[in-house]
Amino acid sequence: MQEKLIEFIRDEFLADPDTEINENTKLISTGLIDSFSLVSLQKFIEKEFGKKIPAPRITAESFDTIKQMIDIINQF
Amino acid sequence: MISFEYFALLLISLILYWLIPKQFIRNILLIISSLFFIYLLDKWSVVVVLSLTVFSYLFGNLIYRYPKKSWIHFLGVCGVLLVLIIFKYLGFLTGIYNSLAEFVAFLPKFEIRKLLLPLGISYIVFKHISYLTDIKWGLVNPGRFIDFLLYSSLFTIFVAGPIERFERFKPQVEINKIPFNWKNIDYGFTRIVFGLFKKLVLADWIGYFINPVWEKPFLYSPWIGLLALIGYAFQIYFDFAGYSDIAIGASHLFGFKIMENFNKPYLATNISQFWRRWHISLSDWIRDYLFFPLSQISSKKFWQIFCVPVIAMALCGLWHGPAWHFVFWGVWHGVGLCIYQLWNEKKRNNKNLNKATKTPWFKYSSILTNFSFVTIGWMWFIK
Repeated sequence: MQEKLIEFIRDEFLADPDTEINENTKLISTGLIDSFSLVSLQKFIEKEFGKKIPAPRITAESFDTIKQMIDIINQF
Repeated sequence: MISFEYFALLLISLILYWLIPKQFIRNILLIISSLFFIYLLDKWSVVVVLSLTVFSYLFGNLIYRYPKKSWIHFLGVCGVLLVLIIFKYLGFLTGIYNSLAEFVAFLPKFEIRKLLLPLGISYIVFKHISYLTDIKWGLVNPGRFIDFLLYSSLFTIFVAGPIERFERFKPQVEINKIPFNWKNIDYGFTRIVFGLFKKLVLADWIGYFINPVWEKPFLYSPWIGLLALIGYAFQIYFDFAGYSDIAIGASHLFGFKIMENFNKPYLATNISQFWRRWHISLSDWIRDYLFFPLSQISSKKFWQIFCVPVIAMALCGLWHGPAWHFVFWGVWHGVGLCIYQLWNEKKRNNKNLNKATKTPWFKYSSILTNFSFVTIGWMWFIK
């Protein structure tokens, strides 16, 4: 799951695809992912992992790092 | 909100609240105070608030019991929205219909007697829609009726928000006893004083200087008009941020932590960031319950980049008042968000451009550009 998320985020959202990201990299709060991209991320998660994450969970506080994303995905 | 009744009720409730040992009884006291406050504003508002709360609570329980039946959620949201339409938008919609009827001979015209808009109705409706939807999404359970009634009516945030979520509010009122803490009292009163300063000193004084310009604009040069517009940008900020400070501070006195509503919005470097800093509880609501669901309708780029932001922001504008100029203000911001998305795409595909945007001068000019965009948008608001 972690690799798939990193690959998708790197390919789709990052301005510089060479940017190093790991499970603890802050993505939303640092602006690496803008809020519009979160809709695509929600769709990707639904398609890839079969989990629909409600919008109130996709915030800079609760969905900022890959680790947080995986935790939330596992809750649903 | 800044009235003798509000502060008298706040002080009396505060003393009684901390004298009561049980949280459940404290919550009942706050409900009585809140309903009395709403009654003072307008007696019919109490009926609207109570009816809406019973309606939403029943539907909340039905949604919780039958989570797969989406029509229950749809019906509940429609019922709540109907209240908003009847009290706030019926006159506006009738006006649109009558304008169209001018062109079609056989269509009858309607006259609607203007209904008195219960204060705080826009806030309570948005709170109830989030309540019903969060239950459907499995984020929260319906809770106890008393807790939901307190959430609906709490007088500290009733008139001007913030639009708190039940999911955040529920754990705070469900605990056996909120411990008394002088720090909360100190923080609460400090926030209220800051709020009063922002509203009564800064916002009202700016208003004192710029209001004559709006009353007789033809008497002033364009430069004075421009200064007045910049003044208005700060007046509306201090006015609203002041109200939010008072609401958050007053809630803190009772031990409730209500979400923040403003975070230096005019220092945002782009319009998307601005909406994460301005009226945060409303923009979060728009994002969660309009923006995301609208984005699910179609994957087409035109829909995602243009239609979704414009529709969501136009409705956000309409929420501020039943008039076209609020819709235009929303569309202005929606178009701004489209342009920002296109700019982001361009930046992603151009390494040099991306590098240039990381320089300090770019950051400062972005703040200035964004402030100018937002300030020009306020022209729609003034009308």
